[in-house]
Amino acid sequence: MKKRITAMALAALMAAGCLAGCGGGTSGDDTQSTGEGGEVVINYPTFQVGVNTSAPVVAQLVEEFNEEYKGKYRIEIEEIPGDANYLEKMKVMISGGELPPVVYGGGEKLLDLALAKDLVVDLTPYVEADPEWKANYSEEALAVDSRDGKIYASSNELQLIGYFYNKELFDQVGIKPAETWDEFFSNCDKLLAAGITPLSMDTGDGAWCTQLLMGAMIATSGDEGLEFMKTSEPDNYNVQPVIDAAATIQEMFQKYTTKDAVGGVYENAANNFFSENTAMIANGTWMIGDFSDTTKTAEGFDQKVGVAAFPGPYVYYAPLEGMFVTKQDDPALEEASVEMVKFFTSKYAQQLGLETQGMLPASPEVAVTDAAKEKFPLLAEFLEMSQSIDTRSNNFTGNMYSNVKDVVSQQMPALATGDITPEQFCQALTDAAQKNK
Amino acid sequence: MYKNQTAKDWLLTFLKYVYMGLCVLVALFPIVWVIMSSFKSNKEILSNGLALPTSFSFDGYVQALEISPIMKFFWNSVIITTTSTVINVLLLAMAGYVFARCRFRFKNALYLLLSTSMVIPMTAVINPVYTVIKTLGLSNTRTGLVIVYAALSMPLSLMILRGAFSAIPPSLEEAAYVDGAGFCRTFFQIMMPCAKGGLASAAVLAFLNGWNEFTFALVLTSSTDVRTLPLSLGYFTSSFSFNYTAMFAAITMAVIPSIIVFTIFQEQVCASLTAGAVKE
Amino acid sequence: MKRNKIWMAAFLAPAIVLFLLIYAIPLVMVFGTSLFEYRLMPNRFEFIGIQNYIELLTTDPVFKQAFVNTILWILIHCTLHVFLGTLLAFILYKKPRGWKFVRVSYMIPNIISQSAIAMIFVNVFNPQYGVVNSVLGALGLEQFQHNWLFEQATAFPSVTMTWLLFAGYTTTLVLSQCLSVDESILEAARVDGATGFQLDVFVMLPLVKKMIGTTVIMAASYMLQLFSLIYITTGGGPQSATTNLPLMLYQTAMKENNYGYANTIGVFIIVLGVVSMVLINKAFRMNESDY
Repeated sequence: MKKRITAMALAALMAAGCLAGCGGGTSGDDTQSTGEGGEVVINYPTFQVGVNTSAPVVAQLVEEFNEEYKGKYRIEIEEIPGDANYLEKMKVMISGGELPPVVYGGGEKLLDLALAKDLVVDLTPYVEADPEWKANYSEEALAVDSRDGKIYASSNELQLIGYFYNKELFDQVGIKPAETWDEFFSNCDKLLAAGITPLSMDTGDGAWCTQLLMGAMIATSGDEGLEFMKTSEPDNYNVQPVIDAAATIQEMFQKYTTKDAVGGVYENAANNFFSENTAMIANGTWMIGDFSDTTKTAEGFDQKVGVAAFPGPYVYYAPLEGMFVTKQDDPALEEASVEMVKFFTSKYAQQLGLETQGMLPASPEVAVTDAAKEKFPLLAEFLEMSQSIDTRSNNFTGNMYSNVKDVVSQQMPALATGDITPEQFCQALTDAAQKNK
Repeated sequence: MYKNQTAKDWLLTFLKYVYMGLCVLVALFPIVWVIMSSFKSNKEILSNGLALPTSFSFDGYVQALEISPIMKFFWNSVIITTTSTVINVLLLAMAGYVFARCRFRFKNALYLLLSTSMVIPMTAVINPVYTVIKTLGLSNTRTGLVIVYAALSMPLSLMILRGAFSAIPPSLEEAAYVDGAGFCRTFFQIMMPCAKGGLASAAVLAFLNGWNEFTFALVLTSSTDVRTLPLSLGYFTSSFSFNYTAMFAAITMAVIPSIIVFTIFQEQVCASLTAGAVKE
Repeated sequence: MKRNKIWMAAFLAPAIVLFLLIYAIPLVMVFGTSLFEYRLMPNRFEFIGIQNYIELLTTDPVFKQAFVNTILWILIHCTLHVFLGTLLAFILYKKPRGWKFVRVSYMIPNIISQSAIAMIFVNVFNPQYGVVNSVLGALGLEQFQHNWLFEQATAFPSVTMTWLLFAGYTTTLVLSQCLSVDESILEAARVDGATGFQLDVFVMLPLVKKMIGTTVIMAASYMLQLFSLIYITTGGGPQSATTNLPLMLYQTAMKENNYGYANTIGVFIIVLGVVSMVLINKAFRMNESDY
């Protein structure tokens, strides 16, 4: 009998050992770098996979990079589907004091977190040594990618945000995109009178569409408001322009939007616009592709959509915080990673993103070609329109400390139903922002 | 008198079936909704989440398989969860037996200490566990996840199995000892078969715990070769782009096999229980 | 006997090693760092004694609500949820027609991922087309329609409904215990003239009492872990109407990057958990041997 037990125990051990073996075979230590024949391998975790609109561009760039640097460098993609999942994983890694060689947060603020742990490679010497690279930095890009005069990141896309409107519904009541906020609200009233819900709004996931409207009101309210919108990570929301905008938003929730706006997420707001339940939605250029996606909307819907700047005129125009290279034990890996970032944010890469997926280039050097214009007419129209508008900033939640965004989602429903006043709303945001000190 | 009895019986039986029916309704609603949604377009899901699909197509399933490596993830899930379940139940059966039957100093204190793991918030231990697994050189391996999952269900299994062993009459063991069987043999030959019900319950719960676990799978793995099923859902929703049809198709594909496994497993448990009922 | 001691140690060792590896080291780290000002942005690591505890217990406005919500949910879950599951188990062990089907289907919601369950309930409670409002509308009860998950008064009960009815774990555990009860015990009671109801309450219930105790502990500990369902449905809002301690911990750690304070909440949850476990153990006399 004892023998049988020993055998059983052995079998269990072997099973575990075998598994360890299987696992060991596929394991790639995150920092392991040199492969066969001195080829440096860059493990690149990214969320730009699956349904993410940038996925095809990233895949193509990886392929071309691996071809060009064959035998020298090789990128291996590690798929982390879901933006939020990627962020969570990076944060856990940062708190453990390590990061993959190349990091890209896609608009989420990872650079400061990584810098706080002193994990980021200073790109200044590389950029200064390469005039072509240097030329890709616009003034705005330089601002988001630098800290204390040192360049740490390289941007490849920018956010351009206004609002989209349904031309057919606008024609029906005989209105045009408004030039002032008064006109904007009189437009809303006219739509309402014709039985059309004017706006798509939401409160979930940081209340994306709603905060775009709110931020635009703040920015166009005067110097104080614009100054506020140009402040990164503000810690005081108790300023008059923000309170006023919150009061207007409160009214808009009660008058101008759908029943499911309170508690709804971006997907609900978008669907209301796609289904022609609402006449307007505030959002960025990446939405354009969806207007012709027949799983989301009816055939021919893209013909009905127009684009406009916010009253003012005003648009959100901000390069996204770029890719950065992290400090590694192996200098060769660092070199390779710098090459990768350079390649991924090059003029060529940005041109590719523009032409295949309609991603707006951060570099002022990239021209909007006729091919791009033809493929994305609405994009070209919007881009042209935005060139003449010099009142721009990052968006309301884009400026926030990351914890404040959750608080927006918790407080906004109460604001909408009138359970709290605009002053209390702003106080709650201020309290949350103060926690970062 | 007799008539009265039957009327009451009839009412009780009626209420019994009403309650059973309600439970089934409540329980089947989610799965029916998921399956139904996998045949609806994004627009239909968002416009009226509860309406029936207007057309019937498997596009969602095709897309789900195209977008994400769901089959690979599925097999990883099967391997990792099964192994961790076996290890978990075996180790905790051993520990549970000692706690149920043996006397030693600090027994209750030790038991309480092991049970506390049930109330440790997972969010708080993600960072430390990540560090431990990395130090062991097990990050991005199946083994790492197997160890973590075996530990995750530890307190629950311990509780169930201790209960199961303490419910077995000691006379059985004494008889075995009189026959000259040792500690180990008594455990494996006499006690384990008697605790089948508890073992099966613990196994089911440990399996489901591992099968649905998300956060550790995300943090402890990095290559698609070792990833598990819950992570595949991220492929279908990204900020500003989404494919709900494919997502619900993926959920359906993930759930149906586990329902089948669960059904078969329950059947086995039941059979073994009636066949090997404990006789004193 | 001495050999038995060795075997005992050998039987306990693997479980203890597993505990040390996955729980003990993290546990020490959680307790230790709760005494520190430990955050990522700005990068800080300073010993501050029990400052975090003082702040949590005296000045944090969210904590009070989160604490009350957590306690309420534990109570609701330990009583109502366990009762519903046990009741079903007691019906099923007599093997009425279709009992196998009921048993399997009742477990299904526990197999589906929580994010899917959350999405389903967002749809059920949707103010525009949700099933609850549709039914009320059809009955002519428009005045009772709400935006269930996002109004102060209805948010808490609505979130509770997202898990209250899914008592599959309880049913599975209690049922398996019922089924392993020796038929002869029941037969003896029947011969003594016990009716079905008496059989359940006076014979069966005591026999499965410990297992019910286990499910009560499970229910309590589940409420001390749960946050993803809440996070996806209401995000803890409106204001903090549906915030509980685990959600607060998650937000403090992952969004505020304030690990020291988050771990203080963690310690509080652990203490709360141990206290409730000890109480439940006492109530169900789970540490006593059956024989």
